[in-house]
Amino acid sequence: MRFWEIGKRNLKELYRDPVALAFLLGMPLVFILIFSFAFGGQATRPLSIGIVDEDQSQISTAFVNCLESIPALEVAPPIYHSQSQAEEELDTGELSIYLLIPRGFGEAVEHRQAIDLELAYNEADPMLPQRAVPVIRAVALEFLNIPIPLNIELRETEVEIKDEYINYLIPGMAVFGLMILIPSVGGIMVRDRAKGFLSRLMTTPARPSDFIFGYSLPFVPVIVVSVAIYLGVGVLMGLSIIGNLGLAFLILFIIGICCLGIGMLLGTLAKSEEQASGAPWIFIIPIVMISGAWWPVEQMPSVIRSIADALPFLHAMDATRSIITLGTGLEAITNDLLYLVGWTVVIFALGVILFRRSMRS
Amino acid sequence: MNGDFAIQTFNLTKTFNGLVAVDGIDLNIKKGELFALLGPNGAGKTTTINMLCCLLKPTSGTAQIMGYDINRQPFKIKEIIGVSPQETAISERLNPQENLNLIGELHGMNPRELKSRSQQLLETMGLADRAKDQVRKFSGGMKRRLSIMMALVHNPEILFLDEPTLGLDPQARRVMWEYIARLKEDKTILLTTHYMDEADFLADRISIIDEGKIVALGTSAELKTSMLEKHTMIISVQNLTQQVIKEMRARYAEVEITNGTMTISAQKLDFKEIVDLLHTSGATVRSAYIKEPTLEDVFLHITGKELRE
Repeated sequence: MRFWEIGKRNLKELYRDPVALAFLLGMPLVFILIFSFAFGGQATRPLSIGIVDEDQSQISTAFVNCLESIPALEVAPPIYHSQSQAEEELDTGELSIYLLIPRGFGEAVEHRQAIDLELAYNEADPMLPQRAVPVIRAVALEFLNIPIPLNIELRETEVEIKDEYINYLIPGMAVFGLMILIPSVGGIMVRDRAKGFLSRLMTTPARPSDFIFGYSLPFVPVIVVSVAIYLGVGVLMGLSIIGNLGLAFLILFIIGICCLGIGMLLGTLAKSEEQASGAPWIFIIPIVMISGAWWPVEQMPSVIRSIADALPFLHAMDATRSIITLGTGLEAITNDLLYLVGWTVVIFALGVILFRRSMRS
Repeated sequence: MNGDFAIQTFNLTKTFNGLVAVDGIDLNIKKGELFALLGPNGAGKTTTINMLCCLLKPTSGTAQIMGYDINRQPFKIKEIIGVSPQETAISERLNPQENLNLIGELHGMNPRELKSRSQQLLETMGLADRAKDQVRKFSGGMKRRLSIMMALVHNPEILFLDEPTLGLDPQARRVMWEYIARLKEDKTILLTTHYMDEADFLADRISIIDEGKIVALGTSAELKTSMLEKHTMIISVQNLTQQVIKEMRARYAEVEITNGTMTISAQKLDFKEIVDLLHTSGATVRSAYIKEPTLEDVFLHITGKELRE
C-alpha cells in the first residue's frame, strides 16, 4: 500500500500547516455565506410535464398529441390513465407538474360545454403553473378551434419548502465551492516537485497510481467537511431537505472527488505553483456560469447547454437539487450518479497516465 | 553484462533542446567500488545520475544497474538503489523519524528492521535527540544530513550521492566523509562532487567529467602522476643573495620570489641540492617542501579551466 504511505505523509504535511488548513476549510464557509446573501432573484425549473388522461377518448388522445407537439412543453412519458400513478411520481419528485384530463373531456368538447382541466404541481416551484397555464390555454384554443370556457384548476401538493431560492442556490453553490478546491489540491505536489522531493519519491519503487492517490488522500476529509459545511450552513439559511440527505451528501462528495482528480491532473502538468493555482480559474468560472449554479441552463443557447450537459457539474447540481427539493430517490438519479462516477474514474485514470509520463522525461 | 560490474553505461547520452548535457558516456563501475564523478557545475554529473536512477530517459544509449536496464526495468532498479539528490529533499513538516519511515515503507521494509535501522542512522548522524521535531526548524546542515540518511535507510545495494556535502560546514563534511568511507565495500557508491578533496579522500576511482564527456579516469594517484610532468618546490627563505638567485635561475626553468617565498618549478627537482645551495650562499631556510600535485591541477591541465570559478 505505497499510496497509503505517500498519503500519510501528505496528510501530515497538510494538517500540520494550520494556515493552509484554515484556508481550505474556511473558504467554503465564507464562500457560501457571501453567495447566499449576495444573490437574489427567482429561479425556474424545467417545464417537463406529466399527463393523466382519465377520459381516454379519441378527442382526449388527440389533445395529448397536440400538447406533445408543442416545443415549449416536454411531455414526460408515459401518459397515465389514473391520477394516483401521477400523484406518486409527483411525490417522489419524478414529476414536478402534471395535467389531469378528467373523464367527460371528450364529451364536453363535442357538446361545446365548459371544459375543466386540473394542473397539479409541486409547491417547491411556484413558477411552474405560471409558465404552464398560458401554454396549455393556447394549445387548447388551437385544438378546439372555437372559444369554449376553459377552467384550469391549480392544485399544489404539500411540500415544506421554506425558501425556494435557497433550495435552488445551495446545491449550485456547493458544487461551485467544491470546484474552488481544484486550484488548491495540486499545491503539495507542485511544491514537492519544485523542491526535488517528488523526484526523490520517484527514485523509490512507488508507482504512478501511488502518487496520484497518495497526493489525493489528504483532501478527502477536506471534501467531507466542505460538503457538511455547505449543507449545514444551507440548513441554517433555510434550506429545506425533502429527500435523503445522505444521497445528496454522496452526490456532492463524488463531484468533490472528481474536482480533486482535476486538481491532480493540473498538479501533474503544472510547471509552477502559480500555474497550478492560477490556470484553473480560466475554466472554473465559465463552467460554473454555464452549469446552472446561478441561473437555469434552459435559457442558454443549445450549444452551451450541450457543453454543460457533457460536463459532470450540471449533473451534480441537478441531482442534488432534485434530491433535496423534490425528494427524488436513488433510482431517479442513477444516470446522473453513474455519469459522475464515470467522469471521476476517467479523470483519475488520465491523472495516472499523465503522471507516469511525467516520471521519466 | 559482466557480472563484476554494478553499473555499466553504454554510450549514454542526453540532450536538452539540442544542448548536449551528457555526451556518450561509457562507464564500468565495479561492485563495492566508490566511484566519483568529478567536474564543475553544469558538467553533466546530475544528468548522468538522474538517468541512472530512472528519472530521465536517455536520448540515446543505455545503462544497466545490477544487470537491469534503465529503459526497460526502471522499477526493478528503484528497488535496489538509494538516491541522495543534490537538493535537500525532505518533508518539512515531518520529523526525521517520519521522513525516514516514509522512504523505508515505500521500499517495503518490515517495521522492526526499519525502526532499528533509522535509530542507528539518527544516532550516527547526530539527530537522535531531535528525532521528534519537525524538520522545518532544523539548520541547513541538519537537513542535509537527514536528506542523506533517507538514501541509506533501506540499506540499498547501490547508492547515488549527488554532491553529498554541498552546503555542509567543514566539520560536518569530515563526519560525512568518514561515514561514507565506512559504507565502502558493502555498497557500490556513485558520488558526484565538485570538491577535489572529497573525491581524493573517498573515491576508489575518479572520473573527471567536463561538458558532458569523461576526460580522465583512474585512481587519484594515477591521475596525479600520469598527468603532470612538472614538480614544484616551495621554500620560505631569508637573506637571499642576488648571486644565488641567478644560480637557481640558471639551473631550473621557473624561479619566482615573492615576500620571502621562493617557488621553483621544473621537470626534475633535487630537494637536497637546492637546500644545500641556499645554505652555502648564506641564506636562512625556514621551511621547504615539494608541492604534491592536486586534482585541481589535473583538472586545470586537462580542461584548461579551474574546477571552481
